[in-house]
Amino acid sequence: MKEWFGAKKPRSLWLRFHVQTAGCSLYPQQPWLNIVRTALEALAAVLGGCQSLHTNAFDEPFRVPSEFAAKIALRTQQIIAYETGVADVIDPLAGSYFVEWLTDEMEERAWRYIERIESLGGMLEAVKKGYPQREVEEAAYRFQREVEEGRRFIVGVNIFKEEDVEEVRRVPLLEFNQEEVERRQKERVRKVRSMRDEARWRRALDELRGAAERGDNIMPYVLNAVKAYATIGEIMGVLKDVYGTYVEPPYY
Amino acid sequence: MSMELTLSRPTTRRKVKVLVAKIGLDGHDRGAKVIARALRDAGFEVVYTGLRQTVDQVVAAAIQEDVDIIGVNQHEGSHVYIARKLLEKLREYGADDIPVVMGGSIPVVDLDVLKNIGVREVFLPGTPINEIVDKLLRIAEERRSRREV
Repeated sequence: MKEWFGAKKPRSLWLRFHVQTAGCSLYPQQPWLNIVRTALEALAAVLGGCQSLHTNAFDEPFRVPSEFAAKIALRTQQIIAYETGVADVIDPLAGSYFVEWLTDEMEERAWRYIERIESLGGMLEAVKKGYPQREVEEAAYRFQREVEEGRRFIVGVNIFKEEDVEEVRRVPLLEFNQEEVERRQKERVRKVRSMRDEARWRRALDELRGAAERGDNIMPYVLNAVKAYATIGEIMGVLKDVYGTYVEPPYY
Repeated sequence: MSMELTLSRPTTRRKVKVLVAKIGLDGHDRGAKVIARALRDAGFEVVYTGLRQTVDQVVAAAIQEDVDIIGVNQHEGSHVYIARKLLEKLREYGADDIPVVMGGSIPVVDLDVLKNIGVREVFLPGTPINEIVDKLLRIAEERRSRREV
């Protein structure tokens, strides 16, 4: 931050980071095992010093989590925070030969990526060229092949498998009626539209459009539009008008 | 008649063309992209719709691209709802001869529901890619031979 971007405030030099456990590490087979996977990943995050953490719910390979599953995810964090003691120390693994080596390795490989992205003209250009997308897809494909060819083990998926139709039946999935949700949401939007100050709403969207066209920071204008009860759809509509819509570069 | 039939058969067959579709607000595209990539490697022609398409857009793309199969990937739990809407739209446009297959985070308990609606094949999590490739080839082959008769 200091050398590259010339940051001066000490606050800007802080490395504060949020960790979310990996959605792609959740499996629908023997779904309860996801609780264990998430706990291990969350512990790793805390050992690594994250300041903010999101733990996934075990039923997320099926759908949006139920309250039951979300609560287990929250309690997982609370067990790590209040029962294990790992949060009492700044860096519990400091000095571990292996972890230090791994950190160096990660750093070196991260630098390789940063240099590659810079050579493509920065992240925006790289995304336009589809570089990071291709890297992610490549990794996902490689991973899938490794699992299918048995070169990588996933408990319950390619080792220690069980016929688990009954087990899946016992997962208390969040029930919702799509049509009912849609009807309710439309009703809410209709209500908001009928009670808001029309002139103020129109002005807020016009000002947002102006800011977007000028290339200004649109955040204050977005906030203003939200306060004037513009819907997300309306705000997005204005921005789409000005900026256009992102189209994924095709690779297949 | 039989001679005509022979003549109408091209010597090199057109690649099987699959539309891989993401419908609705579900942004989980890892699986769809792994499948698209695997099908391409297996010699299919793949059209990927990109994220957040509507049912109408998918039907239009399927007709325009003259695909053999529509593959829908869902990960947020609305697979039954989406399947119903999609099959309805296909019927409306007289394109319901295009088989629809689904995959993604579909609980095994919804398998029969989807098949009863008219989804041709459902690939549950854990289905090996090779099995998907084989089944899609068979489905496309069946449809093409039906069209030629």
